[in-house]
Amino acid sequence: MKINFNINSESKNLDVKSNETLLEVLRNNGYTEVKCGCNEGECGACLVLLDGKPVNSCQVLAMSVRNKEIKTVKGIGTLFSPHIIQKIFAKVGADQCGFCSPGMVIASYSLLKENPNPTYIEIVEGLDGNLCRCTGYVKIIEAVEESAELINKRIKAE
Amino acid sequence: MLPNEIQWYFPTNLNEAIKLINQQGVILHAGGTRILKTQTQSIKGLVDIDALKLNYIRRKNKVFHIGAGVTFGDIVKYSRQTENLKMLEASLSKAASTPLRNRITIGGSIKDFPLWSSLYAPLIALDAKINLIDKKNYTLSIEEYVTKGIIKTKHIIKEIIVPSEEHLKWGVKRFSLIRFEYPLFNIAVSFQMNEDIVRNAKLVITGVHGRFKRFKKAENIFAGEKLSQELIEKAGKFINPKFISDYKYSANYKEKIAKVYFKDVLTEIAGRE
Repeated sequence: MKINFNINSESKNLDVKSNETLLEVLRNNGYTEVKCGCNEGECGACLVLLDGKPVNSCQVLAMSVRNKEIKTVKGIGTLFSPHIIQKIFAKVGADQCGFCSPGMVIASYSLLKENPNPTYIEIVEGLDGNLCRCTGYVKIIEAVEESAELINKRIKAE
Repeated sequence: MLPNEIQWYFPTNLNEAIKLINQQGVILHAGGTRILKTQTQSIKGLVDIDALKLNYIRRKNKVFHIGAGVTFGDIVKYSRQTENLKMLEASLSKAASTPLRNRITIGGSIKDFPLWSSLYAPLIALDAKINLIDKKNYTLSIEEYVTKGIIKTKHIIKEIIVPSEEHLKWGVKRFSLIRFEYPLFNIAVSFQMNEDIVRNAKLVITGVHGRFKRFKKAENIFAGEKLSQELIEKAGKFINPKFISDYKYSANYKEKIAKVYFKDVLTEIAGRE
Protein backbone atom coordinates (compact mmCIF):
# COMPACT_ATOMS: atom_id res chain seq x y z
CA MET A 1 0.00 0.00 0.00
CA LYS A 2 1.05 3.64 -0.48
CA ILE A 3 1.49 5.66 2.69
CA ASN A 4 2.53 9.27 3.12
CA PHE A 5 5.67 10.00 5.11
CA ASN A 6 7.43 13.23 5.96
CA ILE A 7 11.13 12.60 5.33
CA ASN A 8 13.83 15.28 5.39
CA SER A 9 11.11 17.96 5.23
CA GLU A 10 9.57 16.49 2.08
CA SER A 11 6.24 14.73 1.82
CA LYS A 12 6.75 11.31 0.21
CA ASN A 13 4.25 8.66 -0.84
CA LEU A 14 6.03 5.35 -0.25
CA ASP A 15 5.30 1.67 -0.77
CA VAL A 16 4.90 0.05 2.64
CA LYS A 17 3.98 -3.38 3.95
CA SER A 18 2.07 -3.35 7.23
CA ASN A 19 4.74 -5.45 8.99
CA GLU A 20 7.82 -3.55 7.77
CA THR A 21 10.17 -1.55 9.94
CA LEU A 22 10.99 2.06 9.20
CA LEU A 23 14.53 0.95 8.27
CA GLU A 24 13.19 -1.42 5.61
CA VAL A 25 10.85 1.20 4.16
CA LEU A 26 13.58 3.84 4.04
CA ARG A 27 16.16 1.60 2.39
CA ASN A 28 13.64 0.10 -0.07
CA ASN A 29 12.78 3.61 -1.16
CA GLY A 30 16.28 4.88 -1.80
CA TYR A 31 17.28 6.26 1.61
CA THR A 32 20.37 4.03 1.69
CA GLU A 33 22.23 6.47 3.90
CA VAL A 34 20.34 4.72 6.72
CA LYS A 35 22.45 1.61 7.31
CA CYS A 36 21.36 -1.84 8.43
CA GLY A 37 23.82 -3.17 11.00
CA CYS A 38 22.55 -5.51 13.71
CA ASN A 39 18.80 -5.08 13.00
CA GLU A 40 18.27 -5.49 16.76
CA GLY A 41 18.54 -1.93 18.04
CA GLU A 42 22.03 -2.33 19.43
CA CYS A 43 24.47 -0.85 16.90
CA GLY A 44 22.86 2.47 15.97
CA ALA A 45 23.82 2.32 12.26
CA CYS A 46 20.14 2.80 11.38
CA LEU A 47 19.62 5.89 13.54
CA VAL A 48 17.19 8.54 12.30
CA LEU A 49 15.56 11.48 14.04
CA LEU A 50 11.89 10.95 14.75
CA ASP A 51 10.24 14.21 15.72
CA GLY A 52 13.73 15.40 16.59
CA LYS A 53 14.71 12.44 18.78
CA PRO A 54 17.19 9.74 17.74
CA VAL A 55 15.64 6.27 17.36
CA ASN A 56 16.77 2.96 15.90
CA SER A 57 14.73 2.74 12.69
CA CYS A 58 15.07 -1.06 12.80
CA GLN A 59 13.05 -0.99 16.04
CA VAL A 60 10.23 1.17 14.71
CA LEU A 61 7.29 -0.22 12.75
CA ALA A 62 6.86 2.08 9.76
CA MET A 63 3.07 2.31 9.98
CA SER A 64 3.31 3.79 13.46
CA VAL A 65 5.21 6.88 12.30
CA ARG A 66 3.18 7.93 9.25
CA ASN A 67 2.53 11.41 10.52
CA LYS A 68 5.85 12.09 12.17
CA GLU A 69 8.86 14.09 11.05
CA ILE A 70 11.64 11.73 9.97
CA LYS A 71 15.15 12.98 9.39
CA THR A 72 18.00 10.88 7.99
CA VAL A 73 21.64 11.99 7.95
CA LYS A 74 21.04 13.57 4.51
CA GLY A 75 18.44 15.80 6.14
CA ILE A 76 21.21 17.22 8.33
CA GLY A 77 23.74 17.81 5.58
CA THR A 78 24.69 16.42 2.17
CA LEU A 79 27.93 15.75 0.32
CA PHE A 80 27.81 19.19 -1.30
CA SER A 81 26.44 20.99 1.70
CA PRO A 82 27.73 19.12 4.77
CA HIS A 83 26.77 19.99 8.31
CA ILE A 84 29.58 21.17 10.55
CA ILE A 85 29.54 17.80 12.40
CA GLN A 86 30.00 15.93 9.11
CA LYS A 87 32.86 18.25 8.12
CA ILE A 88 34.63 17.68 11.43
CA PHE A 89 34.09 13.91 11.29
CA ALA A 90 35.90 13.90 7.92
CA LYS A 91 38.58 16.35 9.09
CA VAL A 92 39.65 14.44 12.20
CA GLY A 93 39.30 11.00 10.60
CA ALA A 94 36.32 9.97 12.73
CA ASP A 95 34.55 8.49 9.71
CA GLN A 96 37.01 5.55 9.46
CA CYS A 97 35.26 2.79 7.43
CA GLY A 98 32.17 4.98 7.32
CA PHE A 99 29.50 2.41 8.10
CA CYS A 100 28.58 3.70 11.53
CA SER A 101 29.06 7.36 10.56
CA PRO A 102 25.45 8.21 9.59
CA GLY A 103 24.26 6.95 12.97
CA MET A 104 27.14 8.60 14.82
CA VAL A 105 26.41 11.93 13.12
CA ILE A 106 22.70 11.70 13.95
CA ALA A 107 23.47 10.88 17.60
CA SER A 108 26.03 13.72 17.80
CA TYR A 109 23.64 16.18 16.15
CA SER A 110 20.89 15.29 18.61
CA LEU A 111 23.26 15.49 21.58
CA LEU A 112 24.63 18.91 20.61
CA LYS A 113 21.16 20.29 19.95
CA GLU A 114 20.12 19.35 23.46
CA ASN A 115 23.43 20.02 25.17
CA PRO A 116 25.76 22.37 23.25
CA ASN A 117 28.54 22.00 25.85
CA PRO A 118 28.75 18.31 26.66
CA THR A 119 31.44 16.92 28.91
CA TYR A 120 33.44 13.86 27.84
CA ILE A 121 31.12 11.62 29.90
CA GLU A 122 28.02 13.25 28.41
CA ILE A 123 29.38 12.59 24.90
CA VAL A 124 30.04 8.95 25.75
CA GLU A 125 26.53 8.65 27.20
CA GLY A 126 25.01 10.48 24.20
CA LEU A 127 26.63 7.97 21.86
CA ASP A 128 25.74 4.96 24.03
CA GLY A 129 23.51 3.52 21.31
CA ASN A 130 26.18 3.58 18.59
CA LEU A 131 28.81 0.92 18.00
CA CYS A 132 31.91 1.41 15.85
CA ARG A 133 33.31 -1.92 14.63
CA CYS A 134 36.59 -0.16 13.73
CA THR A 135 36.74 0.42 17.52
CA GLY A 136 37.90 3.96 16.94
CA TYR A 137 35.88 5.89 19.48
CA VAL A 138 38.76 8.27 20.27
CA LYS A 139 38.42 10.14 16.95
CA ILE A 140 34.63 10.13 17.13
CA ILE A 141 34.59 11.70 20.59
CA GLU A 142 37.23 14.18 19.44
CA ALA A 143 34.98 15.09 16.48
CA VAL A 144 32.01 15.74 18.77
CA GLU A 145 34.14 17.88 21.09
CA GLU A 146 35.51 19.89 18.17
CA SER A 147 32.05 20.27 16.60
CA ALA A 148 30.66 21.55 19.89
CA GLU A 149 33.48 24.07 20.13
CA LEU A 150 32.90 25.33 16.57
CA ILE A 151 29.13 25.48 16.91
CA ASN A 152 29.46 27.48 20.13
CA LYS A 153 31.95 29.87 18.50
CA ARG A 154 29.47 30.45 15.67
CA ILE A 155 26.61 31.04 18.08
CA LYS A 156 28.71 33.59 19.99
CA ALA A 157 29.77 35.31 16.75
CA GLU A 158 26.14 35.64 15.68
CA MET B 1 9.95 -6.97 9.85
CA LEU B 2 7.24 -8.86 11.71
CA PRO B 3 6.58 -12.41 10.48
CA ASN B 4 3.10 -11.69 9.10
CA GLU B 5 1.23 -8.75 7.58
CA ILE B 6 -1.00 -7.12 10.17
CA GLN B 7 -4.05 -4.93 10.47
CA TRP B 8 -3.33 -1.54 12.02
CA TYR B 9 -5.84 0.42 14.10
CA PHE B 10 -5.50 4.04 15.19
CA PRO B 11 -8.22 4.67 17.81
CA THR B 12 -8.70 8.17 19.15
CA ASN B 13 -10.29 7.19 22.45
CA LEU B 14 -9.77 4.56 25.15
CA ASN B 15 -13.20 2.90 24.75
CA GLU B 16 -12.56 2.28 21.07
CA ALA B 17 -9.08 0.93 21.91
CA ILE B 18 -10.34 -1.50 24.57
CA LYS B 19 -12.93 -2.93 22.13
CA LEU B 20 -10.22 -3.45 19.55
CA ILE B 21 -7.80 -5.29 21.85
CA ASN B 22 -10.53 -7.71 22.87
CA GLN B 23 -10.33 -9.24 19.40
CA GLN B 24 -8.28 -12.43 19.06
CA GLY B 25 -4.64 -11.74 18.14
CA VAL B 26 -4.93 -7.97 18.52
CA ILE B 27 -2.57 -6.22 20.93
CA LEU B 28 -1.52 -2.68 21.81
CA HIS B 29 1.38 -0.97 20.06
CA ALA B 30 3.24 1.83 21.87
CA GLY B 31 6.97 2.01 21.09
CA GLY B 32 6.99 -1.40 19.42
CA THR B 33 10.43 -2.51 20.61
CA ARG B 34 9.15 -5.58 22.46
CA ILE B 35 6.83 -6.58 19.58
CA LEU B 36 9.77 -6.53 17.18
CA LYS B 37 11.97 -8.42 19.63
CA THR B 38 9.54 -11.27 20.27
CA GLN B 39 8.47 -11.63 16.59
CA THR B 40 5.25 -13.32 17.72
CA GLN B 41 3.55 -15.23 14.88
CA SER B 42 0.06 -14.89 16.37
CA ILE B 43 -0.21 -11.10 16.08
CA LYS B 44 -3.04 -10.27 13.67
CA GLY B 45 -3.60 -6.65 14.56
CA LEU B 46 -1.89 -3.75 16.31
CA VAL B 47 -3.72 -0.95 18.08
CA ASP B 48 -1.49 2.11 18.04
CA ILE B 49 -1.83 4.26 21.18
CA ASP B 50 -0.33 7.44 19.72
CA ALA B 51 -3.68 9.16 19.11
CA LEU B 52 -4.84 8.35 22.67
CA LYS B 53 -2.62 11.18 23.93
CA LEU B 54 -1.12 9.25 26.83
CA ASN B 55 2.25 10.97 26.58
CA TYR B 56 1.94 13.38 29.51
CA ILE B 57 3.66 13.96 32.84
CA ARG B 58 1.56 16.04 35.23
CA ARG B 59 2.02 17.01 38.85
CA LYS B 60 -1.18 17.36 40.87
CA ASN B 61 -1.36 17.63 44.68
CA LYS B 62 2.15 16.30 45.28
CA VAL B 63 1.50 13.32 43.02
CA PHE B 64 2.94 12.66 39.56
CA HIS B 65 0.70 11.27 36.85
CA ILE B 66 2.74 9.71 34.08
CA GLY B 67 0.86 8.65 30.95
CA ALA B 68 1.48 5.14 29.63
CA GLY B 69 2.80 6.51 26.34
CA VAL B 70 5.64 8.42 28.00
CA THR B 71 9.03 7.03 27.00
CA PHE B 72 11.95 6.24 29.30
CA GLY B 73 13.78 9.08 27.53
CA ASP B 74 11.01 11.55 28.43
CA ILE B 75 11.11 10.48 32.09
CA VAL B 76 14.89 10.81 32.28
CA LYS B 77 14.71 14.29 30.77
CA TYR B 78 11.83 15.41 33.00
CA SER B 79 13.28 13.85 36.16
CA ARG B 80 16.55 15.73 35.77
CA GLN B 81 14.59 18.86 36.60
CA THR B 82 12.51 17.34 39.39
CA GLU B 83 14.05 16.05 42.61
CA ASN B 84 11.12 13.75 43.44
CA LEU B 85 11.54 11.53 40.39
CA LYS B 86 15.33 11.25 40.68
CA MET B 87 15.05 7.61 41.70
CA LEU B 88 13.30 6.78 38.42
CA GLU B 89 15.86 8.81 36.51
CA ALA B 90 18.75 7.00 38.19
CA SER B 91 17.34 3.63 37.19
CA LEU B 92 15.94 4.39 33.73
CA SER B 93 18.94 6.39 32.52
CA LYS B 94 20.93 3.13 32.73
CA ALA B 95 18.34 1.11 30.83
CA ALA B 96 19.04 0.21 27.17
CA SER B 97 20.54 3.07 25.11
CA THR B 98 19.58 6.67 24.31
CA PRO B 99 17.76 5.81 21.02
CA LEU B 100 15.97 2.82 22.53
CA ARG B 101 14.91 4.89 25.55
CA ASN B 102 13.21 7.21 23.06
CA ARG B 103 10.92 4.32 22.04
CA ILE B 104 10.44 2.18 25.17
CA THR B 105 7.28 3.35 26.92
CA ILE B 106 6.21 3.13 30.53
CA GLY B 107 2.98 1.32 29.64
CA GLY B 108 4.69 -1.25 27.41
CA SER B 109 7.39 -1.91 29.94
CA ILE B 110 4.89 -2.38 32.78
CA LYS B 111 2.71 -4.77 30.75
CA ASP B 112 5.68 -6.89 29.64
CA PHE B 113 7.70 -6.86 32.87
CA PRO B 114 10.84 -8.44 31.43
CA LEU B 115 13.22 -9.94 34.01
CA TRP B 116 15.75 -7.21 33.26
CA SER B 117 13.20 -4.42 33.86
CA SER B 118 14.76 -1.27 35.30
CA LEU B 119 11.31 0.19 35.90
CA TYR B 120 9.60 -2.10 38.38
CA ALA B 121 12.02 -1.98 41.32
CA PRO B 122 11.97 1.84 41.69
CA LEU B 123 8.21 1.98 41.05
CA ILE B 124 7.54 -0.54 43.84
CA ALA B 125 9.96 1.27 46.16
CA LEU B 126 8.19 4.55 45.38
CA ASP B 127 4.78 3.03 46.17
CA ALA B 128 3.52 3.72 42.65
CA LYS B 129 0.02 2.89 41.48
CA ILE B 130 -1.36 2.01 38.06
CA ASN B 131 -4.56 3.34 36.56
CA LEU B 132 -5.92 0.92 34.00
CA ILE B 133 -9.01 0.23 31.98
CA ASP B 134 -10.59 -3.10 31.08
CA LYS B 135 -14.37 -3.25 31.59
CA LYS B 136 -14.05 -0.47 34.14
CA ASN B 137 -11.51 2.14 35.11
CA TYR B 138 -9.58 1.41 38.33
CA THR B 139 -6.36 2.05 40.20
CA LEU B 140 -4.25 -0.48 42.07
CA SER B 141 -0.75 -0.74 43.44
CA ILE B 142 1.99 -1.92 41.12
CA GLU B 143 2.57 -4.88 43.44
CA GLU B 144 -1.09 -5.96 43.24
CA TYR B 145 -0.97 -5.59 39.47
CA VAL B 146 1.61 -8.39 39.36
CA THR B 147 0.63 -10.56 42.33
CA LYS B 148 -3.10 -10.61 41.51
CA GLY B 149 -2.38 -11.61 37.91
CA ILE B 150 -3.93 -8.48 36.37
CA ILE B 151 -0.75 -8.19 34.29
CA LYS B 152 -1.88 -11.24 32.28
CA THR B 153 -5.35 -9.89 31.44
CA LYS B 154 -6.40 -7.75 28.47
CA HIS B 155 -6.44 -4.12 29.54
CA ILE B 156 -5.04 -0.72 28.73
CA ILE B 157 -2.71 1.00 31.17
CA LYS B 158 -3.66 4.66 31.21
CA GLU B 159 -1.10 6.07 33.63
CA ILE B 160 1.12 5.41 36.59
CA ILE B 161 0.74 7.48 39.71
CA VAL B 162 3.88 8.23 41.70
CA PRO B 163 3.60 9.95 45.09
CA SER B 164 6.06 12.72 45.66
CA GLU B 165 7.65 12.00 49.05
CA GLU B 166 9.55 14.97 50.43
CA HIS B 167 11.59 13.13 53.04
CA LEU B 168 12.85 10.22 51.00
CA LYS B 169 16.23 8.55 51.08
CA TRP B 170 16.78 6.14 48.26
CA GLY B 171 19.25 4.12 46.22
CA VAL B 172 19.22 1.94 43.11
CA LYS B 173 21.74 -0.52 41.68
CA ARG B 174 21.79 -2.99 38.81
CA PHE B 175 24.01 -5.95 38.06
CA SER B 176 25.41 -6.22 34.55
CA LEU B 177 28.94 -6.93 33.44
CA ILE B 178 28.93 -4.31 30.70
CA ARG B 179 26.89 -1.15 30.31
CA PHE B 180 24.68 -2.34 27.45
CA GLU B 181 23.96 -5.82 28.82
CA TYR B 182 20.52 -6.69 30.16
CA PRO B 183 20.90 -6.49 33.94
CA LEU B 184 20.59 -9.75 35.87
CA PHE B 185 18.72 -7.94 38.60
CA ASN B 186 17.75 -4.44 39.71
CA ILE B 187 17.67 -3.28 43.31
CA ALA B 188 15.76 -0.32 44.71
CA VAL B 189 15.67 0.84 48.32
CA SER B 190 13.59 3.66 49.73
CA PHE B 191 13.28 5.08 53.24
CA GLN B 192 10.53 7.52 54.12
CA MET B 193 12.05 9.57 56.90
CA ASN B 194 10.83 11.54 59.91
CA GLU B 195 13.90 13.67 60.37
CA ASP B 196 16.58 10.99 60.94
CA ILE B 197 14.15 8.20 61.90
CA VAL B 198 12.92 5.73 59.29
CA ARG B 199 9.12 5.84 59.02
CA ASN B 200 8.76 3.28 56.28
CA ALA B 201 11.29 1.17 54.37
CA LYS B 202 11.07 -0.65 51.07
CA LEU B 203 13.73 -3.09 49.86
CA VAL B 204 12.93 -4.41 46.40
CA ILE B 205 14.66 -6.62 43.86
CA THR B 206 13.52 -7.65 40.36
CA GLY B 207 14.95 -10.35 38.13
CA VAL B 208 14.38 -13.02 40.79
CA HIS B 209 12.22 -16.14 40.82
CA GLY B 210 8.64 -14.80 40.91
CA ARG B 211 9.75 -11.62 39.10
CA PHE B 212 10.11 -9.37 42.14
CA LYS B 213 10.63 -9.67 45.87
CA ARG B 214 10.24 -7.34 48.81
CA PHE B 215 12.07 -8.21 52.00
CA LYS B 216 9.47 -7.25 54.56
CA LYS B 217 11.30 -8.69 57.59
CA ALA B 218 14.35 -6.64 56.67
CA GLU B 219 12.16 -3.57 56.08
CA ASN B 220 10.62 -3.92 59.55
CA ILE B 221 14.05 -3.86 61.15
CA PHE B 222 14.54 -0.28 59.95
CA ALA B 223 11.07 1.04 60.87
CA GLY B 224 11.21 3.52 63.75
CA GLU B 225 15.00 3.41 63.92
CA LYS B 226 17.97 5.53 62.90
CA LEU B 227 19.90 4.12 59.94
CA SER B 228 23.07 2.43 61.16
CA GLN B 229 25.61 -0.16 60.07
CA GLU B 230 24.41 -2.43 62.85
CA LEU B 231 20.83 -2.38 61.46
CA ILE B 232 22.12 -2.98 57.94
CA GLU B 233 24.00 -6.09 59.14
CA LYS B 234 20.90 -7.28 61.00
CA ALA B 235 18.61 -6.68 57.99
CA GLY B 236 21.07 -8.47 55.70
CA LYS B 237 20.17 -11.79 57.33
CA PHE B 238 16.64 -11.44 55.95
CA ILE B 239 17.70 -10.55 52.41
CA ASN B 240 17.70 -13.90 50.64
CA PRO B 241 16.57 -13.48 47.02
CA LYS B 242 15.86 -16.68 45.11
CA PHE B 243 17.15 -16.87 41.55
CA ILE B 244 17.09 -19.41 38.75
CA SER B 245 20.45 -20.68 37.48
CA ASP B 246 21.29 -19.90 33.86
CA TYR B 247 24.14 -20.69 31.47
CA LYS B 248 26.23 -17.82 32.87
CA TYR B 249 25.56 -17.74 36.60
CA SER B 250 24.34 -20.15 39.24
CA ALA B 251 21.38 -19.14 41.42
CA ASN B 252 23.70 -19.28 44.43
CA TYR B 253 26.19 -16.86 42.83
CA LYS B 254 23.44 -14.40 41.93
CA GLU B 255 22.06 -14.52 45.47
CA LYS B 256 25.48 -13.75 46.95
CA ILE B 257 26.03 -10.83 44.55
CA ALA B 258 22.56 -9.46 45.27
CA LYS B 259 23.21 -9.53 49.03
CA VAL B 260 26.46 -7.59 48.53
CA TYR B 261 24.66 -5.08 46.29
CA PHE B 262 21.94 -4.52 48.88
CA LYS B 263 24.58 -3.94 51.54
CA ASP B 264 26.35 -1.44 49.26
CA VAL B 265 23.15 0.49 48.56
CA LEU B 266 22.07 0.53 52.22
CA THR B 267 25.53 1.60 53.41
CA GLU B 268 25.64 4.36 50.82
CA ILE B 269 22.20 5.66 51.87
CA ALA B 270 23.09 5.50 55.57
CA GLY B 271 26.28 7.47 54.95
CA ARG B 272 24.39 10.26 53.16
CA GLU B 273 23.53 13.46 55.00
